Parts: sequence; C-alpha cells; structure tokens
Amino acid sequence: MSALAYLGCVGLITALGVGLAMQLRPPFGHAVRQFVGLETEPRANTDSFYAVRVAPLLDSRCAGCHGARMQKAQLRLDSFAGLMRGSRHGAVIEPGRIKDSELFTRISLPASDDKAMPPSGKTPLTADEMTVIRLWIAAGASGVQRVVAGAPSPVREIKLPEVDPRAVQKQRAPLAAAVTRLQSRFPGVIDYESRSSANLEIHAALNGPAFGDAELAALLPLKDRIVWADFSGTAITDASASALAAMTSLRTLRLSNTKVTDTTIRALAPLKALRSITTAGTGAREVALAALRQRGLAVYGGGDAQ
Amino acid sequence: MAEPNILDAGQLLDRLQRQAQTRRQFVGWGAGGLGAFFLNAAEAKTAPAGEALNFARDPSTPLSVLPPQFTPKVKRVIYLHMGGGPSPLELFDHKPVLTRFNGHDCPESFLKGKRFAFITGIPKMLGGQFPFHQAGKNGTWISDRLPHLERVIDDVCLIKSMRTDQFNHAPAQLLVQTGDQRTGHASLGSWVTYGLGTENQNLPGFIVLISNGGTTANAGKPLWGSGFLPSVYQGVPCRSAGEPVLYLGNPPGVSRSERREVLNAVDEINRHTYEEFGNPETVTRIAQYEMAFRMQLQASDAMDIRREPQAVLERYGAEPGKTSYANNCLVARRLAERGVRFIQLYHWGWDSHGTPTDEGLNVGLVKQCKETDQPTAALLADLKARGLLEDTLVVWGGEFGRTPMQDNHAGGEETKFIGRDHHPSAFTIWMAGGGVKTGMTYGETDDMGYEIVKDPVEVRDLHATMLYLLGFDSQKLSYTYQGLDQKLTGVKPARIVSQVLA
Repeated sequence: MSALAYLGCVGLITALGVGLAMQLRPPFGHAVRQFVGLETEPRANTDSFYAVRVAPLLDSRCAGCHGARMQKAQLRLDSFAGLMRGSRHGAVIEPGRIKDSELFTRISLPASDDKAMPPSGKTPLTADEMTVIRLWIAAGASGVQRVVAGAPSPVREIKLPEVDPRAVQKQRAPLAAAVTRLQSRFPGVIDYESRSSANLEIHAALNGPAFGDAELAALLPLKDRIVWADFSGTAITDASASALAAMTSLRTLRLSNTKVTDTTIRALAPLKALRSITTAGTGAREVALAALRQRGLAVYGGGDAQ
Repeated sequence: MAEPNILDAGQLLDRLQRQAQTRRQFVGWGAGGLGAFFLNAAEAKTAPAGEALNFARDPSTPLSVLPPQFTPKVKRVIYLHMGGGPSPLELFDHKPVLTRFNGHDCPESFLKGKRFAFITGIPKMLGGQFPFHQAGKNGTWISDRLPHLERVIDDVCLIKSMRTDQFNHAPAQLLVQTGDQRTGHASLGSWVTYGLGTENQNLPGFIVLISNGGTTANAGKPLWGSGFLPSVYQGVPCRSAGEPVLYLGNPPGVSRSERREVLNAVDEINRHTYEEFGNPETVTRIAQYEMAFRMQLQASDAMDIRREPQAVLERYGAEPGKTSYANNCLVARRLAERGVRFIQLYHWGWDSHGTPTDEGLNVGLVKQCKETDQPTAALLADLKARGLLEDTLVVWGGEFGRTPMQDNHAGGEETKFIGRDHHPSAFTIWMAGGGVKTGMTYGETDDMGYEIVKDPVEVRDLHATMLYLLGFDSQKLSYTYQGLDQKLTGVKPARIVSQVLA
C-alpha cells in the first residue's frame, strides 16, 4: 500500500470513528461541530427569564443527575446549551410546543409512573415550578426574552442570618459596660433585641409607677441603640420628651396610661425610624397624633376620639 | 451489708449519700475526665462560635428572658386550639362542586388505599351545610357561621392546605402541639419559654386556659407538658372562674409572712439536697415555690375579668364567674398585656361526626361557632387597638380536617347523621399578628375539598414558621436528649412558609 493510500485509510477510519463518536455521544458531536464552526453554543443572557427563573429551578431539582457530576441519558440540565441540545434520544425542548417537549412531558407524569421526573423518591416539582417551565417553553424557550406573561411570582426564600458572635461582641462593645451597669440597676428592663444584634429594648411597663422621668434619663447613655421601648403604665411625664426625642433609632414606642401630652408627641417628630406608637390613656390628642399618622406611623389608642 | 431496716433510716441515707459520692467520683463530675463526655445538657455548654445556641441559665431563674436568635417579628403567642377538628367545609373552604354531588355515592378513587377513623363501606358525599359568601377587601370566602370574624377577616391569613398524617385525636393533637404524635415531647409553649423565657417573672410563662371540656383533652396533659425539657417549662392550666390556680392561696389562718417563713425553711432543705446530689430539678423546684408565692399577688389580678369595663365584657361576650371561651379570650388579652410569653387556649367539641346529633354539623357546629366567633374576633380587635397585635402571633386551628363524605358509622345504610369523619389530608388554620401577611388565603384543596392541590403545609412547616416569627431557626432551638438534638420540628426538613410572611 502506498503512503498516500495508507494515510487515506487512516483518515477514513478516523473520520468514521469521529462520526460514530459524534453519533453515540451527542455532547461530543456538538463540541466537534462547534470547533469546526458549523454551529454556535446556545447561550442565554444573564437577565433573561431563563436565567432568573428556569435555570435555578433546574439547578436545584435536576442538575444532581443531569449536570456536572452525572449525565443520565447524556442530558445536562445545568446549562442553557445542555438543555437545548437535549439527551441521547434527542431534544427535550421544542420551543413553542409543550406537547412535543419531552422534558415537560416527563415532569408532568404522575409520581407513580416509571418515567416520571424527578424519579420516585425525590420531591416532585410544585405546581408553580411546572407553570414556570410550561410558560417558558410556550413562549419560545428563549435565552433572551426577559418577561414571560402569566408566570407566577417567585417564592421568596427565607435566608436565615449566619451570625458571627465575635462581630456581635464588637458591635456591643462601646455600650457594653453601660448596659451591664444599667441592667443591674434596673433588673429585667434592658434586653438586647436578639443574640445577633447590638440593639436594645426597654421593658419598663412591669415596673409601673416605680419607673419615672429620672429613671428614663438614666437610660440616656444607651439612646442610640434603643429600638423598642415600652413605658406603659410608668410615671413618666412630658419632662422625658427630650430624652425620648434623643432615641434616634426608636422603631416602636409604647406610652399608654402615662401622663404624657401633646408636648411629648410633638417632640417625637424628628425620630425618623419610628414606625409604631401606642398612646391610649395619655393626654395626647388627635390633632397631634394626626401628624404622626400622616407620616405613615401606626398609632394605637389615640386622642379625643377614644 | 445488712438489709436496711426501716428504723435505720439515718444509716440508709448515709449509705445512699456514700453511694452517690462514689458514682459521682467514678464519672468524674467535679474533676472532668470521663465525666466530661456525659456533661448534662442543662449545664452551660461552651459551644464553638456560630454553632449550637446556649440556653443555660441560673437554675434559680429558669424563666428569665433570653434574647431570640435574630430579630423577631413577635414577642408572644396566643394559640387558639379548636379541639376535635373543626370542619373547613362548613367554615372556610367553599366547594360548590361538592354541593352538586351531595348525596351521591363516594367514588371508589377517594376510598382506595385510605384508612378512616369511622367511615365504613361506601359513604355519600356531603355538601357544605351553610351558605358561603365573600368578605373583606380581597373577597375572602367565608361561611355565614362566622359573622364576627368576617369583620376582621382582613387581619387574618388563612392557610387552607394544612396537612397531617394522624387521623385520630390524641396523636393528631400531640403532633400539632408537640411536633410528634407520641407522648414524651415538649409542647410548643415549653419550647418557646425554654428559648425565650418570659417577661413577667411573677406569672407563669406558659399558661393554659381550657373551655368546654373539663380539664383533660383527648391526649391529656402531655399537650402542654414539657416532655424532655426541664419541668419548669410546662404549661400551667389556670381557671378563668374562681381561683386561677387551685390551692394557690394560703390555707385559712396562714398569713403571707408565715407562708414566707415556711418557704424559707423549705428552700433551705432543698438547697442542702441540691448540694448533696446536684440535681438541677431541685433548684427548679425552689424556683417554682417562689413563683407560686409571687403569683399569689399577681395571678388573681391578671385573671380577674371583673376589673374590665362593662363595654369590654360585652364585646367579648364574657360573663364573670363562669368558665367560657369568651372569658378565656379576655384573660388571654390581659395576660398578653402583662408579659406572659405563651397563652394556650383549648376549646373542645368540634368533632362533628353527627353522633350524637348535638355534635353534628347542623346543631353542634352551630353552637361551637356561637361560642367562639365573637370572642375570637373581639380578641383580635382588642389586641390591635392596644397596639399588641403587631408583636403578638395568634394562631387558630384544630388537629385535622373533616371528610367531604358523610360520616356513616353504621356503614352503607341510610344514615340520619349529618357529620363528617376525621380527615388528615387537608385542613384549614389561620394566623394573625406581627410578620404575618394578612387578608390572604394560602393553599388550595381540590373541588371536593379532599386533597391539597396547591402549596401543602406540613405541621412541622407551621412550627418552623412560628419559630421564625419568634426569632429562631427551628434547627437551632434544640435540646440534647437521648443522644439526639431534639427539635420541635423533628428530624424531617421543615420549611418556613415565606408566602404567608409580610
């Protein structure tokens, strides 16, 4: 055999081998075609409906068996390219045609069916998740389209805060000595808002008449950190107005059954964080409280009208 | 060693003490070593940063306040448990399709593979017994049985897709109240007071008020028990008529100062016992005696609804001197104002099987609604007016739902009972208060009200959501017992139902 003929045979067998490999392993086939320039890898924009709603869903429910670690049926669902290219048996998404989209057929099967996806034992997709996929396919399975009409709003994930106790200690450090001192002076009155916060709450209501203007004034070193304060039923009066006005972080204030009047209410005007105030059984009148209501505060037990 | 003679009590005590010391030395309580492996969970744990939360307290103040894990939305809970399983199909779940099938035989597919508490043979479908209409800003469906709740329906979040796996009362109640269908687990209130303590140290942190059924529920006292948690966290049942707690007051002829002297002596003996045997329950016992002493002053005042103006009594429908759900609701509001952490109400009688007829849907349920509708709505409105609703969580619900089929105890024959059997697959509860998204309905059942078709919520999901509102990750509020970090939500994953949160 001449050298040319030999090379020709080698080339032919290589081509046949590559062709066979491309046939048997579609991902390889796609890679070859991409390399040659016959096709481009399907991509989706990062702000597309696919990227924002569909991809996270597939990542959390499907990529375990159809992703980087395992590619069952040679299907990869952890990328737009993998999704659109399909499995060993062909495309799983037919843009615009839900009935011909094998992916949707499989996830719609009853859990008892052998071919149902996710397979028996894994949590099935929720109705909302299936609606998202269905609407996306019906709208053309695009990697560009940003909004798909009628899609249910995403479920808000509750992220529980990871707390570093040392960071919390540092935040508490500036006032820590004052807090300890005042906690022993007024037992049960001063508490931290939570284990992960340096903010403080004042629970003076249970002290009743024993807690008055002088006692409130004693809390002033903590003024910047007080977010919640209950002075209901205490002996405070309008003399505490300026002290209250100094608590710039205050969100909730309870003043029920105290001798405060409109003077105190008006003094609270600069408190930007204030969201809710209780004034039943005080001298506060509706006119002064109306100003707070207009700012969007929740005012409980107000004025003359009661 | 000779057999101990009853007259040799002193010697016996001496021998026990010596035995105890030997055991203690072997395990090495004081000196560490092998004992370090068996550190009692009640002792302070030095946990690595970011890991387990430490709930250790001075054993003499076991209910002192501890801050929650992260910023909470609510500071206290009022749980209104409707014992027996109130029927959603007569109250909240409007099913016109079911009404069309009224009287038809139940399809085979509904019965296959299911186990019922009382239904046998092929029952008939039973449509809703009361007309429904829409109410509130968002057109919430509600039957005509709850005219008062209707007026505050926009402050409430209905969950129609609650699900349980228990079809009988006792295990179902235990599951809802303690997170497990077996006895021995800590109740909701116990977990909450364990994790947070209580603001008012002169009242119990977890108070139980019962109406319409004597003192015991189907599942009994374990419903408000502390399970494996230290016993100080158990619920304290109080009465809303007469003395709040029986035998709280001093016996006739014993003054408060005499009582104080007796207590001082008892404290002294208990302290000696603690020094010998080191059982933290002893210190807790001292704390409970002290609590009872303080309660003598405060509890009667807190629970005395005669101190309320007539207008308030009328709003609730409360009648001083009787035991009623209305009285209990008013007491609940007073306790909430006074810094009690967890207030648990029980109202029995919702088990509408139709046998006897006064437990049926057309008689018994009507009575139940009349007894509970007005006070519940009044409680919500009252809490809101006082600014308390924004940091209180109110939960209303039973332990399971009721079947869309008519209960036919006799099986298959013409039945005169108008009632429904127990139905674990779907039931309705509602929540109100801080952090809850109000004026909405979450979850759906199918056209017959049989299965959930949208957004199922397991009991542990409800518990996880409640703990989240109180400022806890349900996985971090734990207590080591029998080699496991016990949690209210158990070992299966529990999700926080974010869709019902504001």
